Amino acid sequence: MPAEALTLENAQDTRFRLTPDALILAIAGIFLLTNTAALALVRGGISPRDIAIVVVWATCALIGRRLLVTRLRQPDVLLFSLAMFLSGWGLVLINRLAAPFAERQTLWLVIAVAGLLLVALTPRTLRLLRSFRYTLLVAGLALLASTIIFGENPSGLPAAPELWLRFGDIYLQPSEPLKIVLVVFLASYLAEQYPALRAEGIDTHLRRIAMSPRVFGPILLMWSLSIVFLVWQRDLGAAILFFAVFTILLYVASGSALIVLSGAALIVFAGLVGYFAFDVVRLRVDVWLHPWPEAGGRAYQIVQSLMAFAAGGPFGQGIGQGLPTFIPVVHSDFAFAAIAEEWGLLGVITLIACIAVLVTRGLKLALFQRGRPFNALLAVGLSAILATQSLLIMGGVLKLVPLTGVTLPFLSYGGSSLVTNFVLVGLLIRISVSEAA
Amino acid sequence: MQFTREITRLLAAFIVSLFIVAGAAAYWAVVGPDTILGRDDNPRRVVAEARIRRGAIYDRNGEVLVETVVENDGAVRRNYLYPATASALGYYSLRYGVGGAEAAYDSILRGDTVTRDFGETLVNSLLHRPQEGSDIRVSLDLELQTVIAEAMKGQTGAVVMLDVPSGQILALASVPTFDPNTLDADWETLRSAESQPFFNRALQGSYQPGGTLQTPLMAAALLYNRPLNVPLQPATRPVQIDDLELGCAVRLPEIALSLRESYAFACPFPFAVLGEALGPATLAATLETFGLTRQPTLPGFTAPATAPTPTPEALVIGRDDVIAAAVGQHDLTVSPLQMAMLAAGIVNDGNAPLPYMLLETRAPGASVWEPVQAIRPTSPIATMNTARQLQDLMRYAVANGAAQNAGRPNIDIGGHASLAYAGEGPLSWFIGFTTISARRGVAIAVVLENSADPGLAADIGGTALAVAHGQLQAASANSGA
Repeated sequence: MPAEALTLENAQDTRFRLTPDALILAIAGIFLLTNTAALALVRGGISPRDIAIVVVWATCALIGRRLLVTRLRQPDVLLFSLAMFLSGWGLVLINRLAAPFAERQTLWLVIAVAGLLLVALTPRTLRLLRSFRYTLLVAGLALLASTIIFGENPSGLPAAPELWLRFGDIYLQPSEPLKIVLVVFLASYLAEQYPALRAEGIDTHLRRIAMSPRVFGPILLMWSLSIVFLVWQRDLGAAILFFAVFTILLYVASGSALIVLSGAALIVFAGLVGYFAFDVVRLRVDVWLHPWPEAGGRAYQIVQSLMAFAAGGPFGQGIGQGLPTFIPVVHSDFAFAAIAEEWGLLGVITLIACIAVLVTRGLKLALFQRGRPFNALLAVGLSAILATQSLLIMGGVLKLVPLTGVTLPFLSYGGSSLVTNFVLVGLLIRISVSEAA
Repeated sequence: MQFTREITRLLAAFIVSLFIVAGAAAYWAVVGPDTILGRDDNPRRVVAEARIRRGAIYDRNGEVLVETVVENDGAVRRNYLYPATASALGYYSLRYGVGGAEAAYDSILRGDTVTRDFGETLVNSLLHRPQEGSDIRVSLDLELQTVIAEAMKGQTGAVVMLDVPSGQILALASVPTFDPNTLDADWETLRSAESQPFFNRALQGSYQPGGTLQTPLMAAALLYNRPLNVPLQPATRPVQIDDLELGCAVRLPEIALSLRESYAFACPFPFAVLGEALGPATLAATLETFGLTRQPTLPGFTAPATAPTPTPEALVIGRDDVIAAAVGQHDLTVSPLQMAMLAAGIVNDGNAPLPYMLLETRAPGASVWEPVQAIRPTSPIATMNTARQLQDLMRYAVANGAAQNAGRPNIDIGGHASLAYAGEGPLSWFIGFTTISARRGVAIAVVLENSADPGLAADIGGTALAVAHGQLQAASANSGA
């Protein structure tokens, strides 16, 4: 049985018809072009870099879409269009904020699109992932362990968290691909365990399920993994993200709201302990609760970030015409604030809408995986990564939650993050066309 | 379908969270401009401020005094062309703000007062054009400023010159001063300097009036028909106030002098006697009439002078203090601007004009100057008769008295030079005027700190008045022809 058609029409003969995904891709191209032109106007000249970015992006978009549409049966190309739109926006943003980084990010985009196509076009992707889940997990954890030992920080600052592995000139952040590996592993674990989890009953045997090692085993495993991230790596963002995504998966698999409650309780508990035990946690929480007295000191970043939102107003200052570079490391952690200042609330809402559509489409895929719990849970986990990570960083930048240094998917500077997110979308596309395993 | 309920709930939670994020972004976008953007530590304000093209400042004859220069790299620099105008025009610094005329006319110079229509505002904001300010023309005269700066070299003190009858400030100098072009670099040195270069002595200085109160006292003597020409004995005897011994402006042996002569030589003794005879109430009323209890506010300039007499409180003189008050060594302190107003009032036949400096403004891009409209009431300080008699007394003092140094051949100059004592040392005062016809002239006040030489103050005044007189004659010849 083919998956239910998610695109509006049969994708195979859309060459001359404007489907929503093609429309979005076209809009994305126009957006990239006009913004690059506007940036060149502001700077007083166009550089080869500007042209290269547009050409590379357009090539990736056209080839990627063509391959997806021709090689797959009714894939969810809209996911690809949205990923391309956001990553194109990200390229413009990096070109504007930290131009020397834009070339590298453009190269990463090529690798990322290749990665997406690889997982989306390989028919056996999902089965392979499932079969090699332990290998993947071990490899992922080994990478993590090697980061703990050999980790570096590209900035070279002594106090900066060392979350990167260096290969010559290239820095990789293993926690990024590890997100997918863990979701794959958990999805396959829970796909096998969920009938048991559910069979033990929620209403009648509350006490038993609460005590069941099937539930608490993985919870504690993930919790301790998160703690490892926090303690050895001081990577607050990854710690919270892993734990939240895992809690979500477990909740969906078991159907028990108790999971969510106990997960939340554990986060609060870890937060309280972390507050007193780790400087990084205390700093983030202090600055979150009381930024104003320290606006010139520890809270400088967040205060400047809020000012960027205010300065942007409803319509923004226009690309290259705001002053978001007052925010330290704006091109990675605070890309969202830079968008707010230069594209305004309009840009912010567009971005949020794109993420909402991505997440909705991802979760909708999960709903249609009848009889394929692995696919369903995988789609849920991947969507949850996207949503949680976006919410964590957007909420942090807006002072809704304490800042956790995660990237804004597709937009922030960073190769590992970009490739991971594209592979994630590739997997979702693969799920959208997958036959029953 | 498995997981339907859970996935639906999850999706709902995500969507709600995203809405909250959008709501927070909207909150800061809408509320932020009025709150956090106004914070002092918003770097955008500094950047916007740094881009503002402040208007130029012209002197009364259209000479550029201050201009804004846009460097090749787009940086904006404020260029002060003449050191002689520094104390009057003040300074503009991104780091330290504004002072003097730069502060008084800040909103005009910044361009906040320019009315722009909606379309213009929209285009400017879309293209992020820097704000442009209006040019202003002030009443200062570059030539007078330069002459005064030259004459005051090495002194500590102030000079104010007013046009009569308009009240326009022709010159304003406070010495020592600062170089506004290098203000940022010199700030700390200047701020801690003992000579207080940022303190505008002409406007904010509160000086012991001393013998300069003899002019209003003479007005009271005239009012009460005191004889001017009857010799008084002992006229030149010093007056003892606590441990201060006050003498005439020039050293004189113990001789008899008439009241007219005592005024000319600024001898305190007859005025102590006069003050006692008038009584504290009349004395206070006289000083009040002459405007000495009210600090004139030069709108927008530094706050209305100093703290001592901020409220128009009635001057109270106790019976025991009447002598000290009569010789200007009591509570009352005056600023050079006040004394210049008093002199201007005498030249203007008893009506003291309100001093002002701003003449015209020119919007950015405009070619026409817009005159500044304002109602400028004069305050009556004496009758025309009294004022004219005082003018003659002052001419006499220049011809025969302590103010001789102010005299210049063939120029009508009147004045009064006197001494005062402040805690730290003596002060020399000179107030005077020059005229080309009735109620048409220039008034001046000069004060020198730590100087027991009123002749020098008179000389500085005479030099400036002579130049002013030449200008007046040239102007009237031009308008006549």
